[in-house]
Amino acid sequence: MAAPDAAAARTRRVQAVGVGRRRSATVLWNLVGLGFALVMVFPVYWMLSTAFKPANEVQTFTPHLVPQHPTLDNFRSALHAPNFVTDLKNSLIITLFSVLAGLVVGFLGALAIARFRFYGRKAMIAVILVVQMVPFTALLIPLYKTLNGVHWTNSLVGVTVTYLILVLPYTVWMLRGFIVNIPKELDEAALVDGCNRAQTFYRIILPLTGPGLVAAAVYGFIQTWNEFIIINTLNDPAHWNLMAFLASNQTLRGTTWGPLMAGATITSLPVVVFFLIIQRNIATGLTAGAVKG
Amino acid sequence: MHAVRTPPRVADGLSAAPARRRRREPTPYLLILPTLLVLAGLLAFPLAYMTELSFKRLTLRDLFTGGAGSWVGVANYSKILHDPFFWTVVVRTIAVAAICVVVSVLSGLLVALLMQRVSGWVRVCMIVSMMLVWALPQLVATQVFTWLVDTDWGVLNWLIDKVVPGVDFTNHSWFIDLWQGWSVIIALVVWGAVPFLAISLYAGLTQVPRELQEAAVVDGAGPWAVFRSVTWPILRPLVVIVTTLSVIWDMGLFTQPYIARASKPELDYYSLAIYAYQEAFAKSNYNTGSAIAVLTVLLMIGVMALYARQMFKIGDAD
Repeated sequence: MAAPDAAAARTRRVQAVGVGRRRSATVLWNLVGLGFALVMVFPVYWMLSTAFKPANEVQTFTPHLVPQHPTLDNFRSALHAPNFVTDLKNSLIITLFSVLAGLVVGFLGALAIARFRFYGRKAMIAVILVVQMVPFTALLIPLYKTLNGVHWTNSLVGVTVTYLILVLPYTVWMLRGFIVNIPKELDEAALVDGCNRAQTFYRIILPLTGPGLVAAAVYGFIQTWNEFIIINTLNDPAHWNLMAFLASNQTLRGTTWGPLMAGATITSLPVVVFFLIIQRNIATGLTAGAVKG
Repeated sequence: MHAVRTPPRVADGLSAAPARRRRREPTPYLLILPTLLVLAGLLAFPLAYMTELSFKRLTLRDLFTGGAGSWVGVANYSKILHDPFFWTVVVRTIAVAAICVVVSVLSGLLVALLMQRVSGWVRVCMIVSMMLVWALPQLVATQVFTWLVDTDWGVLNWLIDKVVPGVDFTNHSWFIDLWQGWSVIIALVVWGAVPFLAISLYAGLTQVPRELQEAAVVDGAGPWAVFRSVTWPILRPLVVIVTTLSVIWDMGLFTQPYIARASKPELDYYSLAIYAYQEAFAKSNYNTGSAIAVLTVLLMIGVMALYARQMFKIGDAD
């Protein structure tokens, strides 16, 4: 009598977590999930919506969810703002060179850490992990004073070099992860076949690290593209990047939100696109290995 | 003859020699050298220079002539440590960071659990919306939030006016009252942090074997008991790491209050990082600014060590 009851109860409980979850509960959770997704994405949507609104629609007592008369005026005025094009060019130059330098230096460093045992290796790893956490605004005072001393402020060279500290640690860390996963037997096979060490790196490890290089480059791009406080402090407006330009276009009262949101959209676009391409790697780079089920 | 006398030694020598040679090889040092130089130039040297500045005093004359200033011992530190405003900022920074960390990690965990319970297409919607938020540059996110709570035309004032009966939020300024202002900033930080936390924790949850959960249910465990005894032990290391990261990020809070106040933050909106920055670059007090920065780094160094230790412990940093 009791046994079938217990068995039925057991089945019911298993179903509660398993495949046959109760329908009404799922519907409820779905509603909560959709509500969450909408609330989360609303500010992003509002940025886009404002960017396409004419000025009289931005400043209205009853905000419209969708632009009634969509226009590109805000984008035009953002593009024609003084220094926008210069700062866009600066952004591209600084990003390109700091990411390239970071990749070259970082690949060599990652090779050392992933493929060799040497004195000070663990300390090096600890430094690379910790340096990603150092609030760089704290380092800005000595950096400014040093760069100012050698006349590297108000120049693109100074920031490009400085940005290496944003790019390099993560690049080393990510490439190390890729190189560690290349079987050592491949290196050994190449050595047996008569390659020397340099050829092994060049012919075996470099091609296999390809995806890692792409991911590290994109991550470095996002880091340097998003930075504004260092460049704002070191340089004048003609040597700013787009983010610093954007920051300077905001005032405490009376900001022209339409053009600002258009500028924000243009500035965010490359970052969002690149981010979506490599998001897997970013998430795992910071926490990798923490889940070994 | 030779061979007969020495075979064991030769074999030993062959296996031992390459290993010893590898250990003395200069290659790894050459490879790591550029990285080392960058870290020395952009990390070690600035840290040392900053510490030096914090024990010195530059006069106005030094600032213009590039003079080195004079040693003043711990004068900068004692000045700061005796300033009640410094302690206000310290307490505020820690309190804000604590709220941000607790709220964002808890929300992240709840969202991750929610993601397990919804249908596949809803999960995709959630992930896409969170990815867009995650990808948005911090500066842009702050500007968008400032626009949402704008005094004159902000959509939040309009919404509160409409939804909550009996209040007048027309032209309500959110940053006059520092509690309201910081609430907006905390909401912004949490909104920006939840995607990383929820998606990482959801990835962790998928590692929890379904059979274990089912076995626990069969044994009579309720949902809370299943979470505590099955899910949590597997998720714990990941939660520790994301929490540590959140503590480090939120203690270094700079962009959100600084940009929300249009790069001219009032004293009420200072965090430690902003305090050090303003001291140095708005008031040209490089020495007090350096001392504050040194104290900030010291305050955070324990958490950073914890993060590095955790990464070594799980064997990922090996």
